[in-house]
Amino acid sequence: MIWKTLKVGFHRLGSPPTFYRVSALISPWLWGGFALCTLIGLYYALYVVPPDYQQSDSYRILFIHVPAAWQAMAGYIVMAILAVIALVWRIRTTEIMAMMCAPIGAAFTLICLATGSLWGRPMWGTWWAWDARLTSMLVLLFIYLGIMGLYAAFEDRRKGARVACILVLVGVVNIPIIHFSVEWWTTLHQGATIRFFGESTMHYSMMPPLVWMTIAVKLMFGAVLLDRSRNELLDQDRRKGWVRQKVGEET
Amino acid sequence: MIPQFEYAFYVWTSYAIFAFVIGWQIVQPVVRRRRILAELREELALETGAYNDPDS
Repeated sequence: MIWKTLKVGFHRLGSPPTFYRVSALISPWLWGGFALCTLIGLYYALYVVPPDYQQSDSYRILFIHVPAAWQAMAGYIVMAILAVIALVWRIRTTEIMAMMCAPIGAAFTLICLATGSLWGRPMWGTWWAWDARLTSMLVLLFIYLGIMGLYAAFEDRRKGARVACILVLVGVVNIPIIHFSVEWWTTLHQGATIRFFGESTMHYSMMPPLVWMTIAVKLMFGAVLLDRSRNELLDQDRRKGWVRQKVGEET
Repeated sequence: MIPQFEYAFYVWTSYAIFAFVIGWQIVQPVVRRRRILAELREELALETGAYNDPDS
């Protein structure tokens, strides 16, 4: 019964007017959650948590660097799942959502690389090193940009989305490389300090801002994804009746 | 107690980059939505004959 309801609900979301309406309802809640979590996270990150005994206040960069890095990778996994659904079931809203993940993922990858570089200068004495973690993260940025470029290169956006979805699936190979790079190779980048299974080497007092900021960027990813997808849908369906009706009502 | 926030240039620059990129992610969909809606309203007005040419 629950499975059937979920299946019907999922298929209904494939209908552009339903997706447009539902995403308009969900998006403000995600934005609200993002704002709240960010405020709490920044309060902890910049004010409450004590300085690190070795890195002093420079370690506060990690409260934005780590959530951004996690979201850059999580965003890619979301995009890959949507790409599989789009390629197998040919659901247009899923195609659009997969494509709209790319600019958001690229933004988080950019934040991760830029803040990592800014942290690296005082801690490692260099802005950049061609080590496995940094290089694979840079490759992730290029993959995101490649997907955006490929999608934009086609006049027929559905065709562009399908071709780009294949590139998304090819690029999935980079995600485990990023994750295990610090174990497979000797890298300047430190190994994992926060473990979901097992003991973390990070002090528990430093955890709250990291948790709040991680939740914040996840909510923000969801909100921007819905907003961008709604816009793309509106743009693609501009000649269709439901868009004309919506614009007519709003006017 | 009033916070001092005397962190190094690296810390503030990182947070500024974060704020800028996140800000852009917030603003970009709003701007695009407004542009699409304006175009659609214009098209609709042209079709219904209710278009007011700003140059005339």
